[in-house]
Amino acid sequence: MSRRTIDIAMNRVEGDLEVRVDVDDGVVVDAWSAGTLYRGFETLLVGRGALDGLVLTPRICGLCSVSHLFAAARALDGLAGVGVAPHGARLRNVTLMAEHLQNDLRQSLLMFAVDFTSPAYAAQPLYEEAVRRYQPFAGSAVREVLRTTKRMLEIVALLGGQWPHSSFMVPGGVVTVPSSGDLQRCRHLLAAFRVYYEQQILGCSLERWQRVTSAAELDAWLDESPAHQASELGFFLRFARAVGLDRIGGGYGRMLCAGGLAIPEGSRVRGPRGAAFLAPPGVATGTEVAPFDEAEVKEHVACSWYLDDAEPGGRHPFEGRTQPYASGAEGRKYSWSKAPRYAGKPAETGVLAELVVGGDPLFTDLVRQGGAHALVRQMARLVRPATLLEPMDRWLSEMATEPGPYCSPDVRVAAGRSAGVIQASRGMLGHWLEVEDDRLLHYQIITPTAWNGSPRDDFGARGPWEEALVGTPVPDLDNPVALGHVVRSFDPCLVCTVHAFGKSGRRGTLRLGG
Amino acid sequence: MNARIVCLGNRYTAADDLGPRVYDWLAARALPPNVAVVDGGLGGLDLAPLVERSRRVVFVDTVVGLAAPGEVLVLDAAALARHAAGEVGYGHGGGLAYLLRALPIVCASPPPCALVGAAAPASQGLVARVAARALGLAESPEEGAVTA
Repeated sequence: MSRRTIDIAMNRVEGDLEVRVDVDDGVVVDAWSAGTLYRGFETLLVGRGALDGLVLTPRICGLCSVSHLFAAARALDGLAGVGVAPHGARLRNVTLMAEHLQNDLRQSLLMFAVDFTSPAYAAQPLYEEAVRRYQPFAGSAVREVLRTTKRMLEIVALLGGQWPHSSFMVPGGVVTVPSSGDLQRCRHLLAAFRVYYEQQILGCSLERWQRVTSAAELDAWLDESPAHQASELGFFLRFARAVGLDRIGGGYGRMLCAGGLAIPEGSRVRGPRGAAFLAPPGVATGTEVAPFDEAEVKEHVACSWYLDDAEPGGRHPFEGRTQPYASGAEGRKYSWSKAPRYAGKPAETGVLAELVVGGDPLFTDLVRQGGAHALVRQMARLVRPATLLEPMDRWLSEMATEPGPYCSPDVRVAAGRSAGVIQASRGMLGHWLEVEDDRLLHYQIITPTAWNGSPRDDFGARGPWEEALVGTPVPDLDNPVALGHVVRSFDPCLVCTVHAFGKSGRRGTLRLGG
Repeated sequence: MNARIVCLGNRYTAADDLGPRVYDWLAARALPPNVAVVDGGLGGLDLAPLVERSRRVVFVDTVVGLAAPGEVLVLDAAALARHAAGEVGYGHGGGLAYLLRALPIVCASPPPCALVGAAAPASQGLVARVAARALGLAESPEEGAVTA
């Protein structure tokens, strides 16, 4: 027996993340995930104007700004006492989906697949092809995804009137009214993206892909044509299976979706099985789905650097506190991330959770047969755009052709408590706030990575990716590439707080995200 | 096309608020007709569409270890390229280094770029000097000494 502790270098993560594992006889037996930066936005917001979250929270992250704006607006919708105007809901959805499209492909091809070029895989038959595709700045897939995804934020700029730092969502809708030219331009951008997505990512039409509804049909699709095998999805499947990504990263198998992309009133877009959302809310244990109840969300801080004066079991975000407390726990506390729990248990969130909770037949079958694992989690991200492109175009078309308001009239935010819970690109994102005398009395935010990358909770249960790391083989302690696959399959994103032009040693270097 | 001054940083931390404060300084003043100023926040690669539609881009950002306290540092395109050459990692946002390396891929004709920076913390006087230097470079690329 040879038990060793190793720290994993987690570069290519937004913000700062440290992962430590214990390895015994070449297998991970324990894991700890630490967020190393204090965010503090919750404290910053208290005492400010009721609407200030619409301006401040999009700046939490350099990438997820639309998601935070959406969650902040949803929370304020709840205090406004009016519904969201249908075109306002369409416009909100399309901008969030543009963020999804960009994130899903950049994460898949720039962040996840680059590990396929690790020297650890040099003996793999597909290695040279992986290098040709994913080598930074030179790989064919890298260059194409860089060129194509830069256009997605133009949709946000056209519809939101500004990018970066858009704050176009307000209680009851949006403040922008796009022209017919703006909407037509968005449809052109989307059509161009669809061509790229079908040709390069799927290797087939959306319609063909949508007929893949089971694990057996996925295998048949892969065998069907050289175009499918050569596509990014096809290559991902072949490489990931060859290196065993379907045998690592299982975790708890409990998945959470708060509900994303509500169908606006009067829209011809239909949610799965008639649901009111494109990504219906729910909690899956395996593939068994139960209703989602926001009241069951609690945040534990026993192992987080925050004051811990609650009874074991944590506090609901309406009662939550963000009071840094970095000493006195004799090593028990190890992360600036809190530990969100649903009904007292850890749960992962993200694209796989959305698809399983929504009853997607392919991913339900894949999880039923093999559980959640790194391959299926990452594959879900690569194919989510196939579920978004047609509804996006439909909503753009509806805005262009049907008259209707973009914001409800006479909106005033009342005093009270409200939660804005949405599905961001990486999973469930919640803003909980309380307003009194037009001021924010309370603000709490739970991000997707807080769910997935949480430390242990009040009862000692590991966070989802801590648990998913346990059991992972590590044949080479000097290059534990499989551990990176497991963590990256959750699409980690810790918030960046410092962004500077830095110097390392004698030579200046640019520093990313902290 | 305009020249753009793209101010980078996080206005909520004194260690990184130079760019946003320079943005505020410039946005409060009348700028020459062919110069635009952008609050780029923490955007990196996502700023590519702005950069490619510019005649020239001057980034403003906090620098660490490259300038003495109170000094205004200017890096020209060649110096920026040298600093970015070792950058291979993509974070979700893709920072300035990633953007600089990706520009030849994502832009058909990348504009000339420079960076004006200073170490944190920045006094209001230093903010004004950085803003003036950035404005000078945006208007006339030959303005000011270039140090690498």
